[in-house]
Amino acid sequence: MSQATLFYLANLLTYGAVDVIACLGLSMQFGVAGISNFGYILFQAAGAYTAAILALPPDTANGGFQKYIGGWGLPFPVPLIGAAVVGGLIALPFTLLVGRRLTGHVAAIGLLVTAVMFNLLVTNFVPLFNGAAGLSLVPQPLQNVFNPQSQTYQWVYGAGAALLALGTYFLFRRITESPYGRSLRAMRDNGQVADSLGKDLLSMRTAMLVLGGMAAGLSGGVLVGFITLWDPGAWGYAETIVLFAAVIIGGSGNHKGAVLGALLVPLGFEEASRFIPSSLGPPGMIPALQWVAIGLLIVGFLWFRPQGVIPEPRRKVFAWAQGRLAGPRDGVAGPVTSPAMSPPAGEAATPRGGAILSTEGVVVDFGGVKAVDGVSLSVQRGRLSGLIGPNGAGKSTLLAALAGSVRVAEGRIYFEGQDVTQMPTYLRARAGLVRTFQLASEFKRLTVVENLISAVPGQRGDTFRGSLRGRRYWGREELAAIERARELMERFGLIEYADTYAGNLSGGQRRLVEIMRALMAEPRLLLLDEPMAGIHPSLARKIGANLQQLCAEGMTILLVEHELAFMDEFCDPVTVLAEGRILAEGTMVELRRHAEVVEAYLVG
Amino acid sequence: MSLFLASVGFGLVTASVLAIAAVGFSVQFGVTDVINLAYGSVMIASAYVAYFVNQLGPGVSIWLAMLVAAVLGALLSLVINKYVYAPFQRRGMAPIGIVIVSLGMLLIIEYTIQAVQGTGNLSYTMSQGPTLTFAGLILSGVQLAIIGLSVVFMVGLHLLLRYTRFGKAMRATAADRTLARNCGIRTDRVVTLACLLTGALCGISGTTFAINLGSFGATSADLFLVMILAAVFLGGPGQPYGAMLGALVIGVITEVSAVFITADYKYVPAFVILLVILAVRPRGIFNAGAIG
Repeated sequence: MSQATLFYLANLLTYGAVDVIACLGLSMQFGVAGISNFGYILFQAAGAYTAAILALPPDTANGGFQKYIGGWGLPFPVPLIGAAVVGGLIALPFTLLVGRRLTGHVAAIGLLVTAVMFNLLVTNFVPLFNGAAGLSLVPQPLQNVFNPQSQTYQWVYGAGAALLALGTYFLFRRITESPYGRSLRAMRDNGQVADSLGKDLLSMRTAMLVLGGMAAGLSGGVLVGFITLWDPGAWGYAETIVLFAAVIIGGSGNHKGAVLGALLVPLGFEEASRFIPSSLGPPGMIPALQWVAIGLLIVGFLWFRPQGVIPEPRRKVFAWAQGRLAGPRDGVAGPVTSPAMSPPAGEAATPRGGAILSTEGVVVDFGGVKAVDGVSLSVQRGRLSGLIGPNGAGKSTLLAALAGSVRVAEGRIYFEGQDVTQMPTYLRARAGLVRTFQLASEFKRLTVVENLISAVPGQRGDTFRGSLRGRRYWGREELAAIERARELMERFGLIEYADTYAGNLSGGQRRLVEIMRALMAEPRLLLLDEPMAGIHPSLARKIGANLQQLCAEGMTILLVEHELAFMDEFCDPVTVLAEGRILAEGTMVELRRHAEVVEAYLVG
Repeated sequence: MSLFLASVGFGLVTASVLAIAAVGFSVQFGVTDVINLAYGSVMIASAYVAYFVNQLGPGVSIWLAMLVAAVLGALLSLVINKYVYAPFQRRGMAPIGIVIVSLGMLLIIEYTIQAVQGTGNLSYTMSQGPTLTFAGLILSGVQLAIIGLSVVFMVGLHLLLRYTRFGKAMRATAADRTLARNCGIRTDRVVTLACLLTGALCGISGTTFAINLGSFGATSADLFLVMILAAVFLGGPGQPYGAMLGALVIGVITEVSAVFITADYKYVPAFVILLVILAVRPRGIFNAGAIG
């Protein structure tokens, strides 16, 4: 191989590693956590500029031909660390700016616009980073000790970059495959439901923005240390689209896909065009066609192969757990006792009877329409209570208000004696107030067993730090949770679907998953919104008996249902809601005697 | 003071171009439910077609070319919606996915133009007309024509939305497509016609944009798209009247700050306004309810 080829390959190694690190960060944000950060390139740029001004001498050096802030002349590896740190830090204002709305496509456009704006500012404000001309002559790591032009230096640099990429890959994989990673994927599939199960979306999104920002920043730092220059042309909004294209084409939700995508798209495209003679067509035609090709690839892949070249793997957690429980112990398996295994907290100590939840004059106002209009209700501990009413009576809205998914305009809600009116949904869920949804709300790209164990509260591995400590730290608890899930799946007859994607089940089965998942959350009060819709009547009776049994064991359930036969058999007391107000309350036998109720609802 | 008035004059011209673009964008979003980030690239494609028509012979007026541009904008918008966005929507793709698709379309359209045309800029052959002074505002005949054109379109659109069956059907479709269909409105046809209409507005705004800019290239509308988004979100997405008001505010602020801050940063106020709205009130400041 000629010297030139070797040089070229060394270059390729560094570029590839840089692209891999950047794509992994985006894969974490977009593929795993579902955050569409259209301003991603901004974080890479921040890392590159930071590394540059940390490494550069003051701007009076070299005859003062370029202007910039900083210029501290700091030695390796300070610029590189600074790049990652700043990449992470600049994520923080974004979380403050867009907060809980961060996943929406509107927020995505906000991020895109922010990146474009900063590019404009950096281009025009010369004193910051030398404006449109950009920074050049950035010192390379250890360039005073070794000769950066040498073949060896180039290869060592490339190897170092590749090591960083490898480290990033294993770190991100460790996080993704942990219970915390599962919560991230749950948030991606359905944020509202994850919230209702006690997941702190804001904290997860912040963590992912910072982590992805650090990866982007690091990639920028590695790149600028190699090419020694950086200017606004290198980080236009289109560069973000390239990285998105890489993640989509490689396969999102899967870091192997991100690596492949990085090698195919940013690297492959850049390099392929080198081999096309530039004399072909008018000047600028080949680069322009490159962009066209990237656009075509995005649209084409999203249509023909949305899962990418390497699809997200289905995680056969149940099969894994069965293997562990059956096979020899190796430090992970063992006696399956843990907090996750214990029955709903405190039911032995709490006395039967009395209100677990009460409301005072709750009003929910949808732009002048009072969907719930002054409801004062109390839910008795240990009872399977029902809530009925005609369509549009405000039943679901009331449940949503109790769980915190809609804002209460007036009135107060007390749960276990505590005023929770202003408490966010996820904290109510953690306190034991859990709801299900009227519409199908399974996490589609989680398996049935993953759906179930995602709801287990307080898992050690379900924090960012816990996820870093690896399977040895949280594996045992995971097995306990799977064991509990197995009991439930057997009871509800879904055991054979344990490792099937929940999104591939029938409507009725998905409802069962949802009920089981809510039960896994160890609620003190469970709010079920039409759980029997789409479920065979005989199965519904079986579920009803199960729910009654759970109440006998100390849980409290408030259930909205249209099927009155179900109410007759299982629910006591039953509250009738009409036009946002409570019409009557009592046993079904009493209600059937009540003329007003019969008129409003029971007849017809 | 005269500097301020002059910049207000430029602002009114920019606002007029922006109003046509933003109203088209907003109605298109209302009816199709797509935040079409390729909208600016369709504007530029139309502006290019106008350029070729304009160059056919010395007698071909840019105003005639604009009509051709409107036709191309209409057809291109229809094709993109019908054969790209709508199929993705029918598959149940999330809005964010459609936005990514629209970014792909943006790359395809813009860089196809650049591949054909190169990176150089083009200018129309046209006369600027006599310079007119009015109450301290100094405007060329062409600039006045753009303002007039925009006013005509705004009034026309108002009449269309308020008083015609098609306008009402369009508002109904934007408010709730399923409900509209159940009420006997042929929503597919409404969507098709709305794409043609908003695409025509997109084509005309592209040509007026290019006229106003003096010379243009394949990527010239990138920053203008941010102004369109700012105007649309200021007025509330899907709200044509909001978009008109938003265009006026954004257009004037942009040109006034070009004079008083420096031209380099003239887009920054629009950016900041858009970001604040997205963070605080993504449904818009002037948003009052359904479309129209």
